[in-house]
Amino acid sequence: MTVPPVPTDDDAPLDPRAGLDIVAAQARRVRDSEVDERVLFGVWGAAWVVGYLVQWWSASGSSTGTTSGPAGGVFGLLMATAMVVTVVHLVRRSRGVRGTSRTVGAMYGWSWFLGFAAQSAIVAGVVNAGAPPQVVAVVANGVACLVVGLLYMAGGTLWRVGPFYALGVWLVVTGAAASVVGMPEGYLVMAGAGGGGMLLGAAFTAVRRWRHP
Amino acid sequence: MTEPDLDPVIHSASRLRVVATLAALDRGDRIAFPRLQKLLDMTAGNLSTHLRRLEDAGYVSQTKTHVGRTPATYVELSPAGRTAFERYTQTLAQLLKGAQ
Repeated sequence: MTVPPVPTDDDAPLDPRAGLDIVAAQARRVRDSEVDERVLFGVWGAAWVVGYLVQWWSASGSSTGTTSGPAGGVFGLLMATAMVVTVVHLVRRSRGVRGTSRTVGAMYGWSWFLGFAAQSAIVAGVVNAGAPPQVVAVVANGVACLVVGLLYMAGGTLWRVGPFYALGVWLVVTGAAASVVGMPEGYLVMAGAGGGGMLLGAAFTAVRRWRHP
Repeated sequence: MTEPDLDPVIHSASRLRVVATLAALDRGDRIAFPRLQKLLDMTAGNLSTHLRRLEDAGYVSQTKTHVGRTPATYVELSPAGRTAFERYTQTLAQLLKGAQ
């Protein structure tokens, strides 16, 4: 370590305005170094819009009303890409911070993993029980949407972020609506309301950051 | 301006920046020295000096640990430090209101 330089005149007492400005500036700087919702909402929104449009296009062109293998592959690839971007972003942004938030973050991350593991098991169970492809599609999509929506709501509650909670409510409603509509039209609901909702979330947080820097 | 209520430990631009940064983290979080340094644009020596002063006052605790084989220092605002920071900002706000 280098020899500590003698603190100079920045040790001078502050006037109240300058002091409060410093506090606000550093709070903003810390926040900007943490998770960027614009990245997460943006990546997932784009993946949903494109992925579900491909699903819809494929399903509406088939005689059974279900998606083809390649369309499912494209969808899976988009979701995997969004997942990798999310994990890399979270790992990079949480580097160098330990303690409560890391524990809470890890528990929250495991909730996602377990939620989707259970979703896969439920879909497998429905397939094993002999459900037709149409039913499998509705269950797979509806349960996934429920997991995502409820976890967004839980995250919004945990970190007291209103927009996060609101997006969760929106996604739960979207998943329910898509299930009632049925496939393939339900995929359009997912692309428009679900993916579109997340892109709106990205835009909203971007405007909020810009307005309240 | 006379400030009998303003905590002399925090009442310097540099140390206020350090404390405000630590206070912006979640309660119970520790931050690695290099990341804190980056958030403050301070030299390592300068930051160490201020941290030592804050540690002497009981406002900050520093934990030495290892990440792999590299030694690492984690810095945390103590409960006393958080209380002092909150009191300090409240006083600033009151002074500002009184000046208007």
